[in-house]
Amino acid sequence: MAALETTSPTAKATSSPNRLLRDLAGLAVILIVAAIGFLLFPNNLALLTRITAIALLVLSLDLVTGYCGIATLGHAALFGAGAYAAGIAAAHFDINDPIAMVAIGALGGAVAGLVSGAVILRGHGLAQLVLSIAVVHLFHEIANKASEWTGGSDGLSGISPDPVFGVFEFDLWGHTAYGFGIALLVIVFMLLRILVRSPFGMLCRGIKEDPIRVSAMGASVQGTLLRMYVISGAVAGIGGALNAISTQVVGLDSLSFTTSAESLVMLVLGGTGSLFGALIGTVSFMVFKDFVSAVNPFHWLTIVGALLIAVVLFAPKGLYGTAAQLLNRSRRQ
Amino acid sequence: MKKLLLGAVAALALCGSAYADTIKIGVVGPFSGPFAIQGKNFKAGIDAYMALNGSKIGDDDIEIVYRDVPQADPAQSKALAQELVVKEGVQYLAGFYFTPDAMAVTPLLKQANVPLVVMNAATSAIVTKSPLIVRTSFTTWQTSAPMAKVAKERGVKKVITVVSDYGPGVDAENAFKTTFTAEGGEVVDSIRMPLSTNDFSPIMQRVKDSGADALFAFLPSGPTTLGFVKAYNDNGLKSAGVQFLAPGDLTQESDLPALGASAEGLLTTFHYAVSHDSAENKKFVEAAQKAIGTPAELSFPSVGAYDGMHVIYKMIEATGGKQDAQKAVDAVKGLAWESPRGPVSIDPESRHMTQNIYLREVAKADDGTYYNKEIVTFEKQGDPGLAAAK
Amino acid sequence: MQTVFSVGTDALAYGMVLFVISIGLSVTMGLMRVVNLAHGAFAMIGGYIASYAAQTLGFGYAAAILIAVVGTIIIAIPVERFLYRRIYGAPELTQVLMTIGITFCVIGIANYVFGPTLKTIPLPDTLRGPVDLGFRSIAAHKLFAIACGVVVAGGLWFLIEKTPFGVKLRASVDNAAMAASLGVRTKIVYAVSFAVAVGLAAFGGIVGAELLPIEPYYALRYMVTFLVVVSVGGAGSIPGALLACLVLGGIDTTGRYLLPEYGEFFFYLAVIAIVCTFPRGLLGRKK
Repeated sequence: MAALETTSPTAKATSSPNRLLRDLAGLAVILIVAAIGFLLFPNNLALLTRITAIALLVLSLDLVTGYCGIATLGHAALFGAGAYAAGIAAAHFDINDPIAMVAIGALGGAVAGLVSGAVILRGHGLAQLVLSIAVVHLFHEIANKASEWTGGSDGLSGISPDPVFGVFEFDLWGHTAYGFGIALLVIVFMLLRILVRSPFGMLCRGIKEDPIRVSAMGASVQGTLLRMYVISGAVAGIGGALNAISTQVVGLDSLSFTTSAESLVMLVLGGTGSLFGALIGTVSFMVFKDFVSAVNPFHWLTIVGALLIAVVLFAPKGLYGTAAQLLNRSRRQ
Repeated sequence: MKKLLLGAVAALALCGSAYADTIKIGVVGPFSGPFAIQGKNFKAGIDAYMALNGSKIGDDDIEIVYRDVPQADPAQSKALAQELVVKEGVQYLAGFYFTPDAMAVTPLLKQANVPLVVMNAATSAIVTKSPLIVRTSFTTWQTSAPMAKVAKERGVKKVITVVSDYGPGVDAENAFKTTFTAEGGEVVDSIRMPLSTNDFSPIMQRVKDSGADALFAFLPSGPTTLGFVKAYNDNGLKSAGVQFLAPGDLTQESDLPALGASAEGLLTTFHYAVSHDSAENKKFVEAAQKAIGTPAELSFPSVGAYDGMHVIYKMIEATGGKQDAQKAVDAVKGLAWESPRGPVSIDPESRHMTQNIYLREVAKADDGTYYNKEIVTFEKQGDPGLAAAK
Repeated sequence: MQTVFSVGTDALAYGMVLFVISIGLSVTMGLMRVVNLAHGAFAMIGGYIASYAAQTLGFGYAAAILIAVVGTIIIAIPVERFLYRRIYGAPELTQVLMTIGITFCVIGIANYVFGPTLKTIPLPDTLRGPVDLGFRSIAAHKLFAIACGVVVAGGLWFLIEKTPFGVKLRASVDNAAMAASLGVRTKIVYAVSFAVAVGLAAFGGIVGAELLPIEPYYALRYMVTFLVVVSVGGAGSIPGALLACLVLGGIDTTGRYLLPEYGEFFFYLAVIAIVCTFPRGLLGRKK
């Protein structure tokens, strides 16, 4: 988070009013969508909160995959680390304040980001993918082994967060959890908008385009990427903490290869390299999956598979990327 | 005149049903994914119960709402349970194949005023998490502990335990070790292997080197059991006379066609075998096989679901269809009945099932298929796991 | 000493099974540069066809293998034509998305057609049961798998290094445009290599079915293992894949014998160590 704070003033200086307008528009869109979700599905808030938590994971994945070009199938390690950090703090150390739990989750995620980044950044391409898989499996295995602390495969239970600001209780209907989640998402999203436009964010994009040139310019490629990985870990950790707070149970699945692969699928579906793409990918995948699996649990996998193939064939830049492209083209004409 | 009267009766009946309530039961289970077959068994058990006992209690219609959690995923499980309670207005929650999924739901129950009937999840501690939980399946402790007595009776002195390294595996290991040591036996070594193990040859080598007379194993039902049982045969342990003991998850009926001859003679202890010989079970198997479509896929979760439905029906009768979770749970405490698996009752203290555990041997039927043949009955077994946890 | 031999034999057998199943993936990933996460799906299709041919139609083991390999290739041809051809040369993430999509579809369809239960491929009597090696007994089918591994390794090496087709393939891989302008019909070369890779996947699925049983989620369950083997060995290198399988098989088996509780740690730590030291794999081709 330190990097984030140091870079934000410069970002302000470079951002033009037009960009600020777009930021505000983006913020408005998120809030409107959140409100529509609340009004249309007042009884599905738990699902919407879950989507919010996963959206944070996918956003954090976008930071390393979309902006830095790191291919990873192990990003759930950071999400799960955040969830377990927040969960263990609550269940074993009686830290039940939700905001404190989020902070601990972010810290746990950042540490996990540092560790896994240090490993994953040693490879490229296929080797990188495999390193990320190995890392997420190691995290999973550690959590399974340390069942004294994590509850192992039975899950970590006994998390009961206090009311937010001592006022808003986490209730059956999930109003508080949803509001809390959306607030976190909005704050993180705005910070990330600033981050990706900062010189630091630009440097990351430069590394993605051409690492040799960037290092020739005198910047440290590995150091920059590792810093981004730590930031990404903090974001994923916030998502994990949100998950722990709203579910009150943390399971091994939050550290799994499956969750990692799913988040990557969501990101590519929405479009890499754009924060909106990450959000759109998450929402469309989760809603689609929920809809299809409720309609026909026995065949949803086939349908999701067909959807993925269709996206590659017809919207190769992801939903957001392709839509933006079409919009640009029609503008030019 | 008679026709008119009949018409009037029919009209009355229609009116009656139109005004009667619909009581919804939310069932959460793995209906897709690698464990879909267990979810299918939930559904078969529920369908069988409703086919045999009707889908109405008094004037109230019973409706089941299914929700899918393909793998252990507490966050998803909780989200769906919440949706079931808030949106669908279910009065009962049931199902739950995996322990963490059931655990995730327990904090909801009190506020939602909804009882939870666990139809499978087998970790002892679940029932302690809320007074509104009743379990109609089994615990790993419950099915594993009797095996220690079997081993003792069969003159086995030294045993090596081999379990999958996760919650239920550790439970099975502890259950067997505790009981067997108490009986005066010796556990020479305990191996925990990762769930993802594919090649069991090195493990079998360890078993051989340990000099044990018998091998006690726990693996979750599914694909790995095949490799494990084959490795036991191929590495010459069977021919060396090392006995194979396990709880019945290892030889669940839906895996038996694949295990085939290699499983013949394996000894397992479990609460239910599809082959159980009783009138009640014949009725159940017939209905459940019809419900599941492919008879060979019928396995133990179906009976947990069937009995779970029995408990829920009794709860609905006791509360007259009104939503009162505590009253509903109180009504079934001590409830005893004849289940397809044999005589069972709900222990008022723990709200877990007291039931017979059977020692079974995999045997070949006349038609060439394999089945679990019950040979010894351990009557009225409670859950030793809860006592051990205290 | 006897234990060392014994564990060594297990390691060799396990490694060779891994090799037979993964080598097809090494071909697609190394030579065709496609991150083919659907490799396991093709292995699974092979297993299902073989199981169906042997169990339901009553064919012998050899015939079942043949039918399965041919059948899987026939299924794969339209998949290659309409789906894979679109992602040759695409970014890795696109390939991942597409091949995961294909995997999901195959799983869903297999589940629908064959049901969720385990399927076995009955072995002929000669491959059934243990064989006595003097110091221990070993399953006959494992010896068969070792033999298959040796034959496949030799055959592929010959095909790629010594035949005119191999020359064309290597040319197309190194510089498709140049190869095409020299008269190599790269599309056909790619299609044929894809067919070979899929055929190997199917073959591996059948031979390895005793260790990795055929069920709908096969395609996802072992996906990681295959990827790891290929990247440790170096994509596209046959001796590399062989070496990787033997090394990984050795580490895995020894770990499971000595400290089964930490088996997973051993395996993945070893993978991290190897991949960090040899980023292109043990015997990977330099670009």
